[in-house]
Formats: sequence, structure tokens, C-alpha cells
Amino acid sequence: MKYKVLWAITLNTFRETLRDKLLYSLVGFAVLVIAASLLAGSVSLGQDARVIQDFSLTAMLVFLLIITYFIGTQLVFKEVERKTIYLVLSKPVSRETFYLGKFFGLCLTILVAGLIMAAMFLIVLYAKTHSVPVAAYFAVGAIILEAWLLTAVSLLFSSFTSPLSSAIYTFGVTLIGHGSATVWLLSQKASPVMRGILEGVYYLFPNLEKFNLRNDVVFNLSPDGTQVGLILLYFVGYTAFLLILGVAVFRKDEF
Amino acid sequence: MTYQRFTLLAVFVFLGLSFVAQINYDSWRRYTPPKLIGIDYNVYIEPQPLSPSLAKAVSFGSTEFLADYYWLTLIQYYGGGTPNGKYRKLAELFNVVTDLSPRFVQAYQTGLIILPGEGFPDEAIALGEKGKKSLPDSWEMPYYTGLVYHIYKKDFVSAAKEFQIAATKKDAPPITQYFAGIYYKEADQRQLAYQIFKTVHETTKDDFVRERSGKQLLHLEMTFFLEDAVAKYRQQFGRYPASPQDLVTKKIIKEVPVSPLGVGFAIDTQTGAVSEAKR
Repeated sequence: MKYKVLWAITLNTFRETLRDKLLYSLVGFAVLVIAASLLAGSVSLGQDARVIQDFSLTAMLVFLLIITYFIGTQLVFKEVERKTIYLVLSKPVSRETFYLGKFFGLCLTILVAGLIMAAMFLIVLYAKTHSVPVAAYFAVGAIILEAWLLTAVSLLFSSFTSPLSSAIYTFGVTLIGHGSATVWLLSQKASPVMRGILEGVYYLFPNLEKFNLRNDVVFNLSPDGTQVGLILLYFVGYTAFLLILGVAVFRKDEF
Repeated sequence: MTYQRFTLLAVFVFLGLSFVAQINYDSWRRYTPPKLIGIDYNVYIEPQPLSPSLAKAVSFGSTEFLADYYWLTLIQYYGGGTPNGKYRKLAELFNVVTDLSPRFVQAYQTGLIILPGEGFPDEAIALGEKGKKSLPDSWEMPYYTGLVYHIYKKDFVSAAKEFQIAATKKDAPPITQYFAGIYYKEADQRQLAYQIFKTVHETTKDDFVRERSGKQLLHLEMTFFLEDAVAKYRQQFGRYPASPQDLVTKKIIKEVPVSPLGVGFAIDTQTGAVSEAKR
């Protein structure tokens, strides 16, 4: 794999997503929602900091995921529909490089969008409380990691289905991923066969609750080194699994 | 009239119409007697919180966010008043908020203060118990629960127990244990109250609390002294004295002690019990 080519595709994907008006409207709306948390906080009976933190972090997650669903699922599809993929693949660019370039490009977009939202969140929080808990930085980082992982999911789906189906499937995976605790609880109460199935679902689907550090921010509970290490390990492991699977599917695609 | 102007006019007219309809609808559902709109209670203006387990399941991890949503709903609901006379959903809302966010101290405190006054003392006590489990280091949970026992249940022993628990917590105000003594005294458990005041008096670093507990100790010692005198009086005369002054008249004691709390003493002629005189 040529890293120069990979970087070129990454940068190109990033530029391509920046041209998408949807991205601007989503980031703009997220920033507005974060700013509006100030208003919600003002009617919260002295719980301003709490409301700003919870509302802003949830808004960040939701909008980054929407970016993933609507932009991530279009990336490969657009190239195929416009037939520009032929131009790219006719050059000395492997399918793996193309696929990974798309992934890293969108990750870069998500990172930039996430940092803009995070900056707004931290400004609003600091303006109101004159302090920012350390846990907030960890929560923001975990949200971006989650969005990156779901980008890999959406790319995987978009390599063999339409953008709409891909967005719906990715949304489904998000719901299952965040309901993992419920799935685990159900498995512990189920019959042996059902237990096996549910435990399979629990381990097979991404456990997005591992990235949920949002609930601890209001209590300024930062994760310890082990927790951060395990989150990163889980992210790297699961994302690599998705990317390898996605590349395998993409290699067999016929356009 | 050009087409553009007509469009603009139509937009404003229809927007205005929807505005009028909305105001009237809100007013109708808020103030019309429930029977006229075919329901037994005006549920439209009441929040309808999900059950805590369902709320947790549908929050998909954002439990604190959902707790905040219900917290804001609760504030609007309580602050908005109720034409139905009772905030039926108040306890339910506090329950769902604290289930979603078990460490939300402010929610427990507010619930313990508001709920009993709105007719939910038992729910307030249950909320306090939940708070004690979720926030084992908080002195506020047993403290406020104790107040509910005192004010709304008149259960002074339970109140005293709660205050004793609160007093063991870090950062509890020095007066907490003093209150435990007061409640035991109110519940007529004077020996227990005496021991608590004694501990407080010997250990507190707060001048005000030391002074007050010292006065309480002295007051209780006077009470015990009078009880002994009443017992002697009965041995001699076969009946209880009518007042502390009788004890002086019959030379059982030299003079009636003056309580440092500024209250007089009374004696029950039927049982001989010594109590504080009603002011």
C-alpha cells in the first residue's frame, strides 16, 4: 500500500466532504444546540453546568452520528454512481487504498467537526462556570472514537447496499450498540440457547457503551489509565475488524 | 394583487390562524373541567414520564441527558401550577429523575423538601432511602429524610435515627448530632438524648453547638433531679405534686431550678412525669 496515495485519497475525501452543504448545516445546528443549552440551563434550578454538559455532549454525539450516517454512507456510492471510481481505480490505486482513504478522510472530517463542536461546548461551559472538568475532554474524545467506529460500520454497509439502507443499518447497529447493557441483562435471564444467542449478539455487535463517558462528566469522574487503555484497544480491534471485512467485500464488488 | 403579495399575505394569515387555534386549544385543555373533555382527569397538562426501566432502555446510554430532560420537565410542571389541585405526577418525576441519575444530589434534596408538602411524605421517605443507598457519603440524604419524619410524620424516633446517621457523615454540620438529641428528647427518650448531648458537648469544635448542648445537658439534669424529687414526694404523701412549687413548699427541694433553655417545668398529676411547661 502506498501511503502517499492513501494520504492523497484521505485529503481528497476530506475536501469532498467539506464541499457538502449538509456538513455545514449539521455543524452549524450542533453549535446552535450547544449554545441553546445555556437557555435550558437557566431554567434548571441552579443546575446550569450539569444541563450544559449533558445537552452539549449528547448533541455532539447525535450530530456526529448524523454526519456519519448521511455523509459516510454516500462516499463510496457517489463515486460508483458518478463512475469516478473507474478513473481512480484505473490508476495505480488499489481498492484497499481507496477504501481506507475514504475511511480516514471521513474520520478527518468528523475530527474537525467534533473539534468545532467541542470548542463551542467548552467555551459555553467555561463562560458559565469558569471551569472545565477534565472528564469533559475524555468524554469528547470517546464521542469522536465512537463516531469513527460507526464510520467504519457505515462504510462496510455502503460497500454492498444503497446509502439509505446503509444509513438505516448503521442506525440499527448504533441502537444495539448502546443497548448492549440491556442485551447482556436479557442474556443472563434467558434459557441456555437464548443465552448463547444473546451473548453472541453482545460480543458481535460493537459495544458502544464502552465509549459512553458522558454520564460521568457532571460528577467529574475521569476514567483511569486502564479504562482508557481498554477503550482504545477495543476501538482499534473492532475498527480494524470492520475495515478488513469492508475491504474484503469491496474487493469483490463489481461496478 | 400580484401572486407574490397574495402568497405573502396567505402565509401570514394562515400562520396567524394556527397561532390563534393553538392559544385557544391550550387554554381549553388547561382550564376546561375534565368531565367536559371526556376524561377523568386533565392528563393533557401533566407530564407522562416513562417508567424508570423503560426510560433507561430508550435512553441508549444517555441516562444523564434524559434525567436532565425530566428534571427540566419537573421544574416547569411544578413552577407552572396545577389547576387540578394536586401535582399527581410529582413523585413519579422525582423517581424517574433519580433512577436515571442516581447521584443527582439536588434532585433528592428538592424532592425531600417539596414532596411532603404536596401530599407525598411516604414517597419522599422512599426517595430519601434511595438517596442514602446511591449517595452513601452524603449527610444531606438522612438529614432531609429526618426532617420529613419530624415535620410530616411526627415520628421523632425515626427522625433522630436519621440525624444520627447524618452526623456520622463527612462534612455534616456540627449541629446535626445535636438535632438527633433534640428529637430523642421530643420522643421522650431522655437518657438517649442525654448521652447524645454529652457526646456532642465533649467532641464538637463548634462554639454555638457546644453552648447549646451544654444547656440541653443542664436542662435534662434538672429534669432528672425533679423526677427524683417527684418520686420522693409520692413516697411521703402518696400522690404526685401539682407543680414544681409543691416540691419546695413540702421541703423536698430548696428551690425550683431555672432551666438555661428559658422554659419552666410542669408535672403531670396523674403520672408524675416532668415535662417542659407550655409557654
